[in-house]
Amino acid sequence: MPDIRIENLSMSFSDTRVLDDISFTVKDKEFVTLLGPSGCGKTTTLMCIAGFQTPDQGRIACGDDTFVDRDARVDLPAERRNLGIVFQSYAIWPHMTVAQNVAFPLRVRRMSKPAIRARVTEVLALVELSALADRYPHQLSGGQQQRVALARAIASSPAVLLLDEPFSNLDAKLRERARDWLKALQHTLGLTTIFVTHDQDEALSMSDRILVMNGGRILREGTPEEVYRQPRVRFVAEFLGHCNFLTGAIGTGPDGGEVLRTAEFSDGIKVQGRHDGPTGTIAVRPEDIEISSGIRPGAPGMGTEASVLHASYLGDHYHYQVAVGALQLSVHSQRPLAPGPVWLRIPPGVATFVE
Amino acid sequence: MTSMIERPAEVAAPAPARSRARRLPASAGQALVWFAVVALVVGPFFPLVYSSLRSKPIYLPGGTFTLAAYRTLFADPLFWTAVRNTVSFALGTTALAVIGGTALAIVCARTNLPGRKAYRLLLIAPIVIPPLGLIVGWLSIYGQGGYLTQVVSKNVHLPVWNLSSIPGMSLLGAVITIPVVYLTVQAALAGTDSWMEDAARSAGAGPWRVITRVTLPMLRQAIVNCTLLIFALCLEILGIPLFLGAPSNIDFYASYLYRSWSSGANPDPAFVSAGAVLLLVVVSGLLLLRARLSGSEQRFIAAGARGGGTYRPLDLGRWRWPASIGLGAYIGITCVIPLLGLVLMSGVKALTTLEAPWHLFTAENWRLVATDPTLRRSITNSLLIAGGGGAATVLLVAAATLIAHRSGFGLRRILAPALIYPRAVPGVILGIGFFWTYLMFTPGALVRNNLWGELIALCVRNLTLAYVVIYPSLARINAEFDRAARSSGAGWWTIARRILLPILRPALLAAFVLMFITLLGDYDPVVFLQKPGTEVLGVTMLQTWQRGVVGPVAALAVVQVGIVAIVLLLGTRILGRLRRA
Repeated sequence: MPDIRIENLSMSFSDTRVLDDISFTVKDKEFVTLLGPSGCGKTTTLMCIAGFQTPDQGRIACGDDTFVDRDARVDLPAERRNLGIVFQSYAIWPHMTVAQNVAFPLRVRRMSKPAIRARVTEVLALVELSALADRYPHQLSGGQQQRVALARAIASSPAVLLLDEPFSNLDAKLRERARDWLKALQHTLGLTTIFVTHDQDEALSMSDRILVMNGGRILREGTPEEVYRQPRVRFVAEFLGHCNFLTGAIGTGPDGGEVLRTAEFSDGIKVQGRHDGPTGTIAVRPEDIEISSGIRPGAPGMGTEASVLHASYLGDHYHYQVAVGALQLSVHSQRPLAPGPVWLRIPPGVATFVE
Repeated sequence: MTSMIERPAEVAAPAPARSRARRLPASAGQALVWFAVVALVVGPFFPLVYSSLRSKPIYLPGGTFTLAAYRTLFADPLFWTAVRNTVSFALGTTALAVIGGTALAIVCARTNLPGRKAYRLLLIAPIVIPPLGLIVGWLSIYGQGGYLTQVVSKNVHLPVWNLSSIPGMSLLGAVITIPVVYLTVQAALAGTDSWMEDAARSAGAGPWRVITRVTLPMLRQAIVNCTLLIFALCLEILGIPLFLGAPSNIDFYASYLYRSWSSGANPDPAFVSAGAVLLLVVVSGLLLLRARLSGSEQRFIAAGARGGGTYRPLDLGRWRWPASIGLGAYIGITCVIPLLGLVLMSGVKALTTLEAPWHLFTAENWRLVATDPTLRRSITNSLLIAGGGGAATVLLVAAATLIAHRSGFGLRRILAPALIYPRAVPGVILGIGFFWTYLMFTPGALVRNNLWGELIALCVRNLTLAYVVIYPSLARINAEFDRAARSSGAGWWTIARRILLPILRPALLAAFVLMFITLLGDYDPVVFLQKPGTEVLGVTMLQTWQRGVVGPVAALAVVQVGIVAIVLLLGTRILGRLRRA
């Protein structure tokens, strides 16, 4: 399968800029996720690739095929792009059986009847729906409908698979199973996939690469670990999980690395990476902060006193709202702690600078 | 942040421009459908306006542009009498229909009236009864020589009503138009939850106060909307003055145009075209005002589609049963008895109270219907138009609706108003327009003297009905269905044929049934087009009645009502099966 390249995509609806110079490449067999809140431009980007929307500027190409090139006045109609799409609503045609739905892309391509039958059987086996081939969509469960939509999307061996929030109509338990199942199938078949979601868990668990979008721009691009551990932008840190932000003066630590000093952490917090300027903001994940009961006299850099304001039990961990001087921080811990004085420490290497 | 984004190593050479810049290629087929609809709808108006401005009919040589036709019209005292009559009829009918229809809708939708579910269906029955059938039925019972009129005047010696007066005609006009008000108001009621009424009740208001202080004010927009609609409909009514007004020499606007046309000294007078143009301007103005006041036509259509909320009915108390019986009596007097009168009239030599009907029984009327070539032809012609024309119209309108709402065709936005407009134009005006169109243009000659001309006029006039049935169903079909098919590689026509039309099947059938019923009963657009050999039911009934022959007209009306009943029955059964599948 070929690479798909998106270059300098821009688009406006009346006065609002929904896409602002978007560029990225999806490599062969790669699973790339566009992640962001609603209205961030992720679905618009997908629809531009699919051919249902035309960008004002930019270029989209798949291998040697140019899908869109505004400068060269090229805009290939959606039906000639050879893509497979799974829509949010699944869009399974209600008047056709499962088999007829899956056969449709093949019939449109004028394949012979025996070839269509063979391919439909093969694809339905792949999505584990062989037994339901003659059912109508309204006789299927949500998860089964989603697999029909997927079977139809991959039936004609498309160059790229596009997924538009395919899990949003499933309940939480089913969603997790469908996620693992889809990822396994994508990996086995080696499908180049672009996936759109607003759910960070889906993005982190399935993607080879994540593009975090907001306001029509790509704010951060990288593997799930990179994006989560080094968000670099405040919005990305907030959108992917919870985060504490601390602003203070930047100085040099005893070992020559950069540290952030605030009134509460006068010893300084050791920060990864570099930052220009006298002040800066860092992001610290609640689960990275160490918390323990009682007061421990600390050596420099060994932590600070704090007090638990509020505790809530969330099953696999406790969430604490902690006051350090005038500052309030969120901390996750496995340990039950009584309200009152505690000891808090931000280990070196967990804090990163954000813009 | 662009520095973070991985740039493609090589920029591919520009691919050959193998597609047009449009998102969807504007295929020739789409253009053809678009052109057919716009030409059929807009086409007839140019010859109409043109002929009203010429000094001689357009088929005669010579002639100059002149306003003489308008001067002739304004100088005719009969014209002004007709205008006065029409306005008083329209005012009376509108007042009665709006008050009656609103009251019926509120009572059936919001109170605990016994039998309200059955009444909800029965009240809209006049919509499917062929209008001439109802008019002739009324005449047979309540007309000057009508059965009940005779009973009251000759046998009981009481002062009697006069159906052939303007108040009498307004009453029948209201009976015919009440379902329109009823449906509009009911749609508005169904679209609003009854929690506002509940709030008023919990604040201590009784049912009457709730209706007058909460329900009615909420309905203001719907009421204004249908008031204007009914008033506009009244201006074009032809059947009532021709059948009911004739004994008292009362002419309305449409019947004045028709009579001047068919009995004038010189043929095809230009002042009739001028009158038609004037009426067109007035009615279009009224409907534009209505659109301005009530938002878009689409919103009005969509209102019926929304499911109503739950409601706790208002208690009518001791008025429950009297109200229910009164409503039943209303339906009996306005629909059931006239239809029975129609059947009676078709089976007797003369309708009189002097002798018992079974002494006057005759099969002569029915024999005439079965043997007289004109009467027989009008039945077969009407069936041909209703069946063939109905099917063709539904297909054309379905294609046009898909282009208007589900395509990238450049000029698609014109289609929706073009599909709405024909029903807003008075039928007689469209008829005169088609008359001149067939005369003026060479292709018109092909349809001028055969059934095709009438079929086209009737179908164009009523295509709006197919649109208002098909469009709401299309709007409920998820647009992702189309996209899924496009990404599967299907072009626009394939999507229309294989995805959208099959899903629309129930709506297409409903549209066909409605078209069939309407085409069978409609006649105003063809009163100027009918020639020997191209008779249709409505016009034949009109002309036979005017010759004073009433029995066969009643028989024809019974045939019409019978066919409508059968088609409705079959249609609802097949529709039920389609919906279950």
